[in-house]
Amino acid sequence: MKHPLLKLEPLIWLLFGQGILLGTILLTPWVLVVGLGVPLGIVPAEALSYERAIALASHIVGRLILLGLIVLPLWKGVHHMRHSFIDFGGAERDALVAPLLYLLATIGSVLALVAVVRI
Amino acid sequence: MSDGQQKKTFVITRFDPDRDDAPRKQAYEIPVHPDWKVLDALNFIKDEIDATLSHRWSCRMAVCGSCGMMVDGEPRLTCKEALDQYGDTVDVAPLANFPVVRDLVIEADGFMEKLTSVKPWIIRAKELAVEEGPMRQSPGELEEFKQFSMCINCMLCYSACPVVANEPEFIGPAAIALGHRYSLDSRDEGAAERNEVFRGEGTVFSCSFANECSEVCPKHVDPAAAVNQAKLNAAIDWATSLVLSRGGSK
Repeated sequence: MKHPLLKLEPLIWLLFGQGILLGTILLTPWVLVVGLGVPLGIVPAEALSYERAIALASHIVGRLILLGLIVLPLWKGVHHMRHSFIDFGGAERDALVAPLLYLLATIGSVLALVAVVRI
Repeated sequence: MSDGQQKKTFVITRFDPDRDDAPRKQAYEIPVHPDWKVLDALNFIKDEIDATLSHRWSCRMAVCGSCGMMVDGEPRLTCKEALDQYGDTVDVAPLANFPVVRDLVIEADGFMEKLTSVKPWIIRAKELAVEEGPMRQSPGELEEFKQFSMCINCMLCYSACPVVANEPEFIGPAAIALGHRYSLDSRDEGAAERNEVFRGEGTVFSCSFANECSEVCPKHVDPAAAVNQAKLNAAIDWATSLVLSRGGSK
């Protein structure tokens, strides 16, 4: 039933696991800083000015962090969607749904890579 | 307690494959003692009221793992659960996620196949000769796997697992925990073989970490932890096998 993806399961699970790690450790403080810190004036707005942000994002380390922050939670998301689909009785169609979802994540990852390279 | 002894009604799932098309419910109202376990009530019904009731049990002390059933919808060892924690009506059904042989007796062959598939024994590339003496193990090395060796194969975790319910080929909590227990053993050299099983058809990666197995385990084994450690080991083993080709391995 899962033959088409069976060999790639370890890779998918590693991406998913890292997505959870990044989602929890990095995205939460990011939302705190951008979503609450700046609007409430706790973090000075100029700390996130365009010049500073583009300088950070253009640096090789900044690019790598951005890529990780976009790609890994993407894999986490589709993996969760796949398992939710199975939990809601879709196990029979997993062989179709799983490749489709992971294809979406792959396309998203390639787009993210292109975007990050072109910053 | 002799007069006005407490009574409880047991609604038991009955199924005789020779006569019934589908499982049916049968209610028995019986006098119960305050210190009874659920199993005592089932034995009372079998001995005193209806000898046709079939259920499996043996040790009465939560060691043999035979008497697992759904009690009020939850997988439980019936010899371990005190009756006084349940209401006036107690629902008893065979373990979920297993084929039923008769009444409360389930077919365990599928589980047994999964269990042997993970090779739950010590694998050595070369056996030590007797003259070489015993294989020593430190308390720390024992502690690595001891928890996972407490499993009694009662299969409650298979009944609780939502993944087993959806994907019958999933190796499942107890078998993965027992395979992992041997891979963690300092005397064992079979981790690579088991990792291949863990990545195979019943892949450990099917587990979505609902943690229900660890919730219901009567021996506090924490199979969910074993499954997740097994995932990590299987994934690392897979990644290293891409870089280093293992002699003789696929």
